[in-house]
Amino acid sequence: MSKPQSGEQESQLDESSESEPETEEHPFHWPESADNRKSLTDRFAISESAEKDDARKIVTGDAKYTSDYASNFPNLLEGKVLRSEIAHGYVTNIDTSRAEQMDGVHTVLTPWSESVPEKPYTSAGQSYMEPSPYDMRVLRKKVRYVGDPIAAVAATDGRTAIQAMREIDVEYEQLDPVLDPETARSTAAPQVHDSETVENKLPGHDYERNVEAHAEGEIGDVSAAYEEAEAREDWTVVESDWEMPYQSHLVPEPHTTISRRDEDDRLHVITSTQVPYHTRRQLAHLFDVPIRDIRVSKPRIGAGFGAKQSLLIEPIAVALSEAVGRPVKLQTTRREQFFAGRFRRPMSISMKSVVTDDGALKALDMETLSNSGAYGPHGLTVTGCAGTKPLPLYPNTPNMRFEMDAVHTNLPVPGAMRGYGAPQGHFAVEGHIGEVADAIDMDPIELRRKNMVENGDLDEASGITSGGEGHVRRIRSCGLEDCIDRGKDAIGWGDLKQPDAEHEHRAVGMALSAQGSGVAGDELGAAHIKMNEDGSFILQTGAVDTGPGADTAMSQIASEVLKVDPADIVVQPSDTDISPFDYGAYASSTTYVTGHAVKKAAADAADSIRRIGARMLEIPEARVELDGGSVVDTESANSVSIEAVGYESIYGEANREQIMGQASHSTDQSPPPYGAQFADVTVDDSTGEFTVNKLVFAVDCGTAINPKLAEGQVEGAMHMSYEYAVSGGLEFDEQGRPLTTDFREYGMPTTADQPPLESILVETHEPTGPFGAKSVGEVPTNAVPPALSNAIDRAVDVRIRDLPITAEKIAAKLNE
Amino acid sequence: MEFTLQVNGAQISVTAEAEEPLLDVLRRNGYTGPKRGCRSGSCGFCTVSIDGEVEKACLRPMETVAGSEVETISALGTQSDLHPVQEAFVDNSALQCGFCIPGMIMRTKGLLESNPDPDREEIREELSENLCRCTGYEKIIDAVEDAAARMPAEVADGGLPEPTTETEPISNE
Repeated sequence: MSKPQSGEQESQLDESSESEPETEEHPFHWPESADNRKSLTDRFAISESAEKDDARKIVTGDAKYTSDYASNFPNLLEGKVLRSEIAHGYVTNIDTSRAEQMDGVHTVLTPWSESVPEKPYTSAGQSYMEPSPYDMRVLRKKVRYVGDPIAAVAATDGRTAIQAMREIDVEYEQLDPVLDPETARSTAAPQVHDSETVENKLPGHDYERNVEAHAEGEIGDVSAAYEEAEAREDWTVVESDWEMPYQSHLVPEPHTTISRRDEDDRLHVITSTQVPYHTRRQLAHLFDVPIRDIRVSKPRIGAGFGAKQSLLIEPIAVALSEAVGRPVKLQTTRREQFFAGRFRRPMSISMKSVVTDDGALKALDMETLSNSGAYGPHGLTVTGCAGTKPLPLYPNTPNMRFEMDAVHTNLPVPGAMRGYGAPQGHFAVEGHIGEVADAIDMDPIELRRKNMVENGDLDEASGITSGGEGHVRRIRSCGLEDCIDRGKDAIGWGDLKQPDAEHEHRAVGMALSAQGSGVAGDELGAAHIKMNEDGSFILQTGAVDTGPGADTAMSQIASEVLKVDPADIVVQPSDTDISPFDYGAYASSTTYVTGHAVKKAAADAADSIRRIGARMLEIPEARVELDGGSVVDTESANSVSIEAVGYESIYGEANREQIMGQASHSTDQSPPPYGAQFADVTVDDSTGEFTVNKLVFAVDCGTAINPKLAEGQVEGAMHMSYEYAVSGGLEFDEQGRPLTTDFREYGMPTTADQPPLESILVETHEPTGPFGAKSVGEVPTNAVPPALSNAIDRAVDVRIRDLPITAEKIAAKLNE
Repeated sequence: MEFTLQVNGAQISVTAEAEEPLLDVLRRNGYTGPKRGCRSGSCGFCTVSIDGEVEKACLRPMETVAGSEVETISALGTQSDLHPVQEAFVDNSALQCGFCIPGMIMRTKGLLESNPDPDREEIREELSENLCRCTGYEKIIDAVEDAAARMPAEVADGGLPEPTTETEPISNE
């Protein structure tokens, strides 16, 4: 993502790039350590589908998620949150007297309660200072959407807490709500935030027009391209507008937090978070508790997808437990998840492009209006990624422009969600590219091949909002050609059997996808590994495994260095008291950033093992290597087992030492993984009904550390992308009240209505990544909507530009 | 009210409201294998077996399960001695965050008991009662096919491993 400046939020637009950056700054050849690039036969533990380290406890029901820790705290209370029933207004009075008198009720908190901090903060779980405005309070006197937390109860059990909530009377002074961003940015619209009450404001903010952030950037000169196109017969201008709704993460485990003081009177927060360290810092600032007095533990978590890159309910849980002096558990209901959680943000994107008759893109121009809902977490950065993720697919386009407004309304709060703006951007860009191909009557794959990124390209588009400055990257691995070829084969491109029925038409559409591997220049991963005397290891990383198997991948990376079985490496879940610092599980960073720290830490430990092994073998250190759980003399083939080294290191006669390694990894690189999405669809031209027969995604994620887990990422992401294409979206009434509050109402695909998915891994080698790895978690989330829109257009010559794609929309266009 | 029922082969007595969902009572009494995702029967994360039928525990009030035999995921194998369905889920990487998996496995076991050799369409139909957000379902469907091949006849017929007893009490859940 294009990262805004830290500290005081400065405009990213002041400096434009003056000239092509020096090539030496972005060399193609990257100095790798000797062991980083391995042939398939040289690999010890990577590229193997090692069993996921938590698989057995998951299938037996032994895995413990936050709420499963409730039994550890016998005097635990349960919390509930009272939320605003109106979309916009002031809370003028809260009468809690009846609730407070109920048996079993221990406290009722309101915005006026002493243990509730008043200072503004952001819920965005980002690095410090967050590129998100401090615009929310723990409990709110001004409410800005149906769902704003007003009061909180702690009681002996959940039922009592719910009953107590019903006994709280709230009086409001109602204000007119504004529910769409286009209206919201006119000066006559109701104002959602008073600029005076917001801190850490973002570039381009204009709260009188409800603008949370504005950014723009240009490479080349798009206007000049439009002028030239007007003068030339062989250049074509294509314009189209694209619309994307809210999408819910549908996290399986509702957000859950247990807050308590431990026996050392330190605040211990067990919580379903993707960002334990950011949560610790943010709670420390919010509650004025020293960081040293807070511990955040992340147990197994029931998935995140960005929903849990957020300080969602933790502050309320802490306020409750601090008020009553007892442990409090707070868990959102499923209903709350559908309006009071976080979401993928709605966007409208206007695309304009210039293309020559022989398919050379001369200009790509994106104007994005995004709905920030009631508060601004991730508003600037997600909206920016709508441009900075897909535009780098075509980095050689000489003229590119991106402009964005993130605008507040009185609707639910968007946040981070897998893909982070890229799915919205890809729908617009890759759908638009399909239209461009149509406009010049060229095969859409041929058009893409003529313009798409290649290995060695210099990509400025990922930094377009800063005019390229500071965000230029050299592409050192790109498998897009292979992704397209293998995807075409798998879907049967050009080899489709048409249905017998005359009114049914079958076609395949495709779209490309790109993402990043971590936030360029704003990541830190760290790892610590120590050896037990039996030759096993304890690996501590801050890597936050939200389910994909990051802990397993980390053990495989360590095991590749140490040449021991991955099962001999015990990975500890992240806990701020135990694990080294980590920015958290977001931006597709874990394998690429934290994985690199693990590789370096393991190499550090391996040095000690070799040194002690050589001493035991009585040979020079240069003669030994690690192999198959032993330290081996490369000349004589004599060896000592790592276990023997372990016992010697701790109990031996000579210099005893704990064998351990540690490392940090921080980088300004964020190499994009790539992919090609294919969709096979049959459309009935009499009704608009359509069936998606199959979805294929071929991904270039560099080296897949664990192929089965990587496939799992691709398939799960495709499910989410398919849902965004055909069933997603939240509905609200004219007062901003939520109408979608359940999985099935929402239309989450099930086994019965989801098409078969095929994932294809295309290996490339990314020299900046650990053993050549890039990321894989987000890139497959981007491209089912455009691929399906393109497929439907090829099938029945109807273009759908707003999500979700429905039979009604197709039928309406067929009847035009 | 006081209710007596069998959970995973052990007779237990619990205090609960008549209309309280079985799921809440199970979790409060230490049976945390069934997960709470919605409480409205949508997600299937709390799927258990009640008197041999596959059911969502959040949809069964306590008054309807008094005296019943309930099986949770813990009635199947242990980490070192997995049930064939559990093995198939592990070996096919058919799990990620795992929150849906106890329910998904109970659903699968029920399916294979009534239909030991389902085709992919039948699997898709039966599993649609249970949601998964992580896997895209592909590897889960693979795992169910694989489990069918692994199930010994006596297990597929409904024979159970030795019952286990869960003892850890939970006061607040």
